[in-house]
Amino acid sequence: MRITPKQFALSLYEAADGKSASQVKAIIAKFIEILVKNNALSMAEKIEKEFLKIWNERQGIVEAEIITAHGLGREIMKMLKDYLGHLTKAKEVVVHEKEDKNILGGVVIRYGDKILDGSLRSQLAELKEKLIK
Amino acid sequence: MSTTKDFIVKQLKEQIADFKAKAKEQTVGRIVEVGDGIARIEGIADVMMSEMLEIVSAGSSEKAYGVALNLEEDRVGAIILGDSSRIKEGDEVRCLKRILQVPVGEGIIGRVVNPLGQPLDGKEEINAEKFYPVEKIAPGVITRQGVRQPVQTGIKVIDAIIPIGRGQRELIIGDRQIGKSAIAIDTIINQRGQNMKCIYVAIGQKESKVAGLVAKLEQAGAMDYTTVVLAGASDPASLLYIAPYAGCAMAEYFLDKGQDVLIVYDDLSKHAVAYREISLLLKRPPGREAYPGDVFYLHSRLLERACKLNPEHGGGSITALPIIETQAGDMSAYIPTNVISITDGQIYLMPELFYQGNRPAVDAGLSVSRVGSAAQIKAMKKVAGKMKLEAAQFRELAAFAQFGSDLDKETKAKLERGKRLSEIFKQGQYSPVPVANQVLVFFALINGLMDDVPVEKISEFEAGLYKYAANSGAKIIKEIAEKKDLTDKLEAEMKTLIMDYKGTVEYIIK
Repeated sequence: MRITPKQFALSLYEAADGKSASQVKAIIAKFIEILVKNNALSMAEKIEKEFLKIWNERQGIVEAEIITAHGLGREIMKMLKDYLGHLTKAKEVVVHEKEDKNILGGVVIRYGDKILDGSLRSQLAELKEKLIK
Repeated sequence: MSTTKDFIVKQLKEQIADFKAKAKEQTVGRIVEVGDGIARIEGIADVMMSEMLEIVSAGSSEKAYGVALNLEEDRVGAIILGDSSRIKEGDEVRCLKRILQVPVGEGIIGRVVNPLGQPLDGKEEINAEKFYPVEKIAPGVITRQGVRQPVQTGIKVIDAIIPIGRGQRELIIGDRQIGKSAIAIDTIINQRGQNMKCIYVAIGQKESKVAGLVAKLEQAGAMDYTTVVLAGASDPASLLYIAPYAGCAMAEYFLDKGQDVLIVYDDLSKHAVAYREISLLLKRPPGREAYPGDVFYLHSRLLERACKLNPEHGGGSITALPIIETQAGDMSAYIPTNVISITDGQIYLMPELFYQGNRPAVDAGLSVSRVGSAAQIKAMKKVAGKMKLEAAQFRELAAFAQFGSDLDKETKAKLERGKRLSEIFKQGQYSPVPVANQVLVFFALINGLMDDVPVEKISEFEAGLYKYAANSGAKIIKEIAEKKDLTDKLEAEMKTLIMDYKGTVEYIIK
C-alpha cells in the first residue's frame, strides 16, 4: 500500500520529537533517504503541510486568521488572542492579520475549520433577511 | 398615505431595535477534489451524516448545495445537488446544520417539481407550508393497521385477481415497452373522486415522456390531485438518488393529515443504477453486479415508509407502486429479487402476452397480491373469487388442448369460458373501468351469461353493456357502488338487466 503524506509526516514528528538539533539533522537526512527509496520525494510539499498541522496539534498551537476592515489596535488584538486561547484551550495562539474592505466592519476570525463571523457585512445581510420576512 | 409611511417607519424601527447582532460560529471546510457530481471536502469535522452543505464559490455569489454521504477519517465525501460545473477546488463549504429537506404542503398538488421541490412547470414558486426531511424512519408496529381498504386501479384484471389495498406496496415488473408505466398512470387517472392524493416520481426518464404524461393527466383531470416529482435522464445521479425519498416526504405530509396517498416510483432500477454510480464514485466497495452492499437497504427503507396507520394515529395511508424494469424477462437479477422480497406482491407483465394482444399483459400466474381479498369490496369478492383459479386452469388447458382435438364437454366449456375471460381482461390504455361496472361484467361471465356471446364480439358486448347499464340500469350500478355488496335481490336485478341487454344485440349464438 502507498504511504500517505500524513503517515510520513506523523513518523517524522514522532522521530524528531524531543531530540536535539544535531540529532534532528541526522533524522532528516535518513528521512529523505527513505523518501527517495519509496519514490515519494514529490510528496515533500504535502508532507511539510501535514507536518505543520501535526506539530501545531501536538504542541497545542492554534493558528488563527483575523480579518478586519481597517486593522485593529494592539489592545483589542490582545483581547481577541486571549479570547481565542480560552475558546480553543490552546497553549499558544498564532495570529495572522488580514485586511479586507469587503467585510465593511467588525471582525471575522478563522481558526481550524471554524469561522466566527462578526462582520458588518453578514450582519447586514441577516438584517435584510429578517426584514424581508 | 401618511399612515402607511409612518407605519412602515415604525415597524422598521421596531425590527431594528429587536435585531441583536451576534457573531455566529460556523464550521467551514474546503473542497479538495471535485468531479462527476462528487466533492471531497477537508475540514467540517463536526458534519452530520446526510447534512446539507452550502458551497460558496470564490468570487461569485451563487451558491450550490450538497449532501454529506461519506464521513471518512480526514475528509468528507459529498454529492452535489444540481449544477456542479461552477464548483472549483478550494471553494468554501459551510455546514447548514440541518438534514436535507423538501417543501411540502397543499401547494405542491398539481405541480411538476424537481426532487428539491423547485418548480419545473414554469409556474410560480411553491408555496410551502412546512419542510420535511427526505429521510425519515418508517412508522413503527404500534402505529400500523392491516390493509383493508381497496385502491381501485380501474384495470379489470388487477382489481379482480391481484387486488391492491391502501397502504400496500405492489411491485410492477416487466421488460421495457410493455406497459408498466401505463398501469400506474391508469391507476392515477382512476383515483378521481376516490379521495386519494397521487405522487408520481419519475426517476431517470426521458423528459419528453414525462411531458406527454403530464399532458395526459391534465387532460384526464388527474392533475387536480397529483404531483409529479421529476429527476430526468439528464439530471445528475444525486438528484435521481434523492427523488423517491423526496416524493415520499411529500406523501408523508398528507399521511400526517390522515389522508390516503398513492405514490408511484417509476422506476427503481434506474434509482439503483444512480446509487451505484454515486457509491462507486465515493469509492465504496462494489458487490454483486457492482451494486454497493447497502442497495437492499436503499429500497427497503424507502418502501417501508408505505403504510396504513390505525385510527389513533390519523388513519392515513401511503400506497406504493414501485416499478422495476427487467432485462429480457430476467426476474432473478439482483435488484428485481430484492424488490420482490420487499414488496407485498407483484404484477408481472409478460412480453408474449403483450405481443399476442393481451393488454395489459398481466401474467395471472406469476402475479400475486399478498394482501389478497382483504383489499376488495364484498361485491367484487363474490364475483372475482373463482376467477384467478379459472384463469390459471384455462392457461393449463389451452396448452394441453393444442395436441388433441377430441375434448370432453366439460373441458370444452372451460376453454370457452377461459377465452371469454381473457377477452374481458383486455383493456385499452387511459380507460379505467369503475368498480360497479367491473362487478356487473364479471357477474355476467361467471354466471355463464356470456357463454353464448362469440369470443370476437366480447369487447363490443362489454362496451354495449356498460352503456346499456348507464341508461337503463343506473339504479343497479349506483346500488353496487354504494352498498359495495351483492344481495339476492340485486343479483336477480343484474341478471334481468344483462338478459334485457342481450335481447338488443343480434350476434348471440342461438
